[in-house]
Amino acid sequence: MKRKLAFCFLLLLFGLQSFLLQTHATETNNENDYKSPEFKAVASQFMCTCGCGQDHYACDMAGCANTDAFKADLISMMKKGMDKDEIREYYVGMLGEEILTAPEKKGFSLTAWVLPFAAIGGAGTGIFLLLRRWVSGRGKESTPEEVLAIEDEVEEEILSSIIDEERKKYL
Amino acid sequence: MYLLGNAAIYLGLAMAVYSLVILMAGIKTKQQRLVNSGKGGVLAVFICTAVAAAVLLYLLGTSQFVYEYVNNYTSSELPMGYKLAALWAGNSGSLLLWTFFLTMYTAMIAYSRKMKGNPMVPYISAILLVNTIFFYIVLGFVAQPFTMLDYVPAEGRGLNPMLQNPGMIVHPVTLYLGYVGLAVPFAFAMAALILKNMDDFWIKMTRRWTIIAWLFLTLGNILGGQWAYVELGWGGYWAWDPVENASFMPWLTATAFLHSVMIQERKNMLKVWNISLIILSYALTLFGTFLVRSGVLTSVHAFADSNLGMYFLIFMGIAVVGALYVLMSRYHLLKRSAGEFTSFVSKESSFLINNLLLVGSAFAVFWGTIFPLVSEAVRGTKVTVGIPFFNTVQAPILLGMMFVMAVCPLLAWQRSSAKNLKKNFLLPSILSLAGMTLMVTLGIQKAWAVIGYGVIIFLFITHYFEFYRGVKARRKMTKERIPTALYKLMTKNRRRYGGYIVHIGIAFIAMGIIGSQNYDVETMKTLKPGESVDIEDYRITYERLDQRSEGINDIVYADLTVFKNGERLGVFQPEKIFYGNWDQPSSEVALQTSIAEDLYMVLSTWEENGTATFIIKINPMISWLWIGSVMVVIGSLFAIWNGRYQNITPKYTGVMKEVA
Repeated sequence: MKRKLAFCFLLLLFGLQSFLLQTHATETNNENDYKSPEFKAVASQFMCTCGCGQDHYACDMAGCANTDAFKADLISMMKKGMDKDEIREYYVGMLGEEILTAPEKKGFSLTAWVLPFAAIGGAGTGIFLLLRRWVSGRGKESTPEEVLAIEDEVEEEILSSIIDEERKKYL
Repeated sequence: MYLLGNAAIYLGLAMAVYSLVILMAGIKTKQQRLVNSGKGGVLAVFICTAVAAAVLLYLLGTSQFVYEYVNNYTSSELPMGYKLAALWAGNSGSLLLWTFFLTMYTAMIAYSRKMKGNPMVPYISAILLVNTIFFYIVLGFVAQPFTMLDYVPAEGRGLNPMLQNPGMIVHPVTLYLGYVGLAVPFAFAMAALILKNMDDFWIKMTRRWTIIAWLFLTLGNILGGQWAYVELGWGGYWAWDPVENASFMPWLTATAFLHSVMIQERKNMLKVWNISLIILSYALTLFGTFLVRSGVLTSVHAFADSNLGMYFLIFMGIAVVGALYVLMSRYHLLKRSAGEFTSFVSKESSFLINNLLLVGSAFAVFWGTIFPLVSEAVRGTKVTVGIPFFNTVQAPILLGMMFVMAVCPLLAWQRSSAKNLKKNFLLPSILSLAGMTLMVTLGIQKAWAVIGYGVIIFLFITHYFEFYRGVKARRKMTKERIPTALYKLMTKNRRRYGGYIVHIGIAFIAMGIIGSQNYDVETMKTLKPGESVDIEDYRITYERLDQRSEGINDIVYADLTVFKNGERLGVFQPEKIFYGNWDQPSSEVALQTSIAEDLYMVLSTWEENGTATFIIKINPMISWLWIGSVMVVIGSLFAIWNGRYQNITPKYTGVMKEVA
């Protein structure tokens, strides 16, 4: 009898667990998580076109008419198992690159990403060469005494300002 | 009022033209009488602008909707503060404000006690008057503020609700003061070039005016960010919008100038570069105005129905070409007095790298901003360049800049020996590494955050050493108490220590940015009354949804009781406001701020049955951003303040005085 009771109890427990899991799963299905990191990774790639100037992740639905439908589409694609790159390619194919919040890292758009660093690199090399020209010849002339004197620059500044002050007092 | 307003504008234009002509004649013929007349004209132009601005303010304040501008940007139920703030809500009003500040600065320089007897004054006034004439032409013939309608509307269209925020009263004004302020160093630079004179006086005055403009630009950007944070309900403070970029670019180049001018001061080098930075900063302010008022780029800030951009582009072209011509014609003189560097590792070199990164950052912003146009021109394909692009490109550049900022104070001028480097940097390096290790151990493991905070720790330590060494050296000689020594040390070298305060402020801002960008948490939940949402240590219980009216606006609000670790923090009310004269509703965010984080609550949507959807964010370290901003302002003011101990700007002793 005790065994039967224990068996029934276990069955009830499994049943309850299944029910809870089911309810939880249903709840998750009904309420899409528009703030999950996965959704953020997908939705923040796309610019909202309602004029809010934000991406579809950030756009608050009450103020925007089209983000609601767009978000629902994104969720359905994610449920189909499409990853963020596939979803991006789908929309770029349909609506063009303008839909993205940032240019693609290929083709002509790659220049958008590369040029600033290329410019800094080029200018940096120029500065290095200029510095080398300025330094060459001069660097060897400085003596260790000169270097030591410069190291105590703060003390020198303070001393000179105190001397100035004293001079103003008495002269 | 119509007559008075228009008369002020056309008279202002006539006076500006007269002053320019008479000043040039005075300079040419070396007649002080004519120059004095021109100076009087400068004052008259300022009075004309002030009268025009006062008339427009009066019309706005008294809701005279027969005037197109008043009708377009105000309504009778608007509080008086916002009615008056509508002066800068539209194109013509904001240009009038710009002109007002420009003429105010011109008059300040023409009648400055420090500038008395200075032969640069007529030149500076003339250059600023050319700017003024341009603005007056726009006000008089393109964007007229006093245009009247054929009928008298019963009610105005109202002010964009987004602009109805205290931050928006101050933000544009400070931004304009910064924008216009950069015209002053430009005029100083041009005057100095024309006079073939760039002495200590020029450096001091130009630097001072640049700091003033820089301070206002900084304030404008910060206040804009603060407004976006509380008003837009998006939880961010900087969106890299073209208009935001337009104000950030001159800020970067002006910052570069403020650093590189020290090399000119100390070593008489980089004169051409410094002048170029001033020209660039000034040109970027005009470029920004072109962006805002041309409609070539999509921006939430842009002025609607505006074709003014082209005028600004043309004016910018003329100004830049003219400035470059003057620069080239004096190139041989500037180049002649060039000094030399003695080492790769020195304060001078670090300033060069700082300039490289600041100007590189400005270029990256510029490139990203115009790339949609470039792409369309080259490929015929429009692209959007938004937050992810700018964050990705700017993060390494700005981090590099923070590093240079951290290292620079402890590098010696001329040459840093190996011993010097070891003495100054060993301890900060060890402590930074220890800090980074501790962060990783405590779970802060995102690369940007760890590296960023590591650099910031380094910066704090090097800056602390600067103060420590200064106080120690002073005490060694004077035996003063520590607070006295610190006070005297700082007040005797305001620029240096003001600059350090600014650096520390920037570090605070960087901490806020890194924290809020990397560790923000967000959720969106639909709740029934009585239900709660948990996010980190907070429990937010939705109590009820209700509605109230304020004037012609309807406000839907929710009562949210917030608990943190079980402790009740209070009831908060996020709102959605529906405006009587505006289609789009706006979100009023409920904010629980602490030093560690902000709890940011937005009422998103709701149903008939009382269920409502909320967006809840936790933004870490946002307060650090605002604290840092205040420190930047304090540091800038400290640097330019003329205290009791401050050296008085030297009297002008440059080129031979002919007319002044």
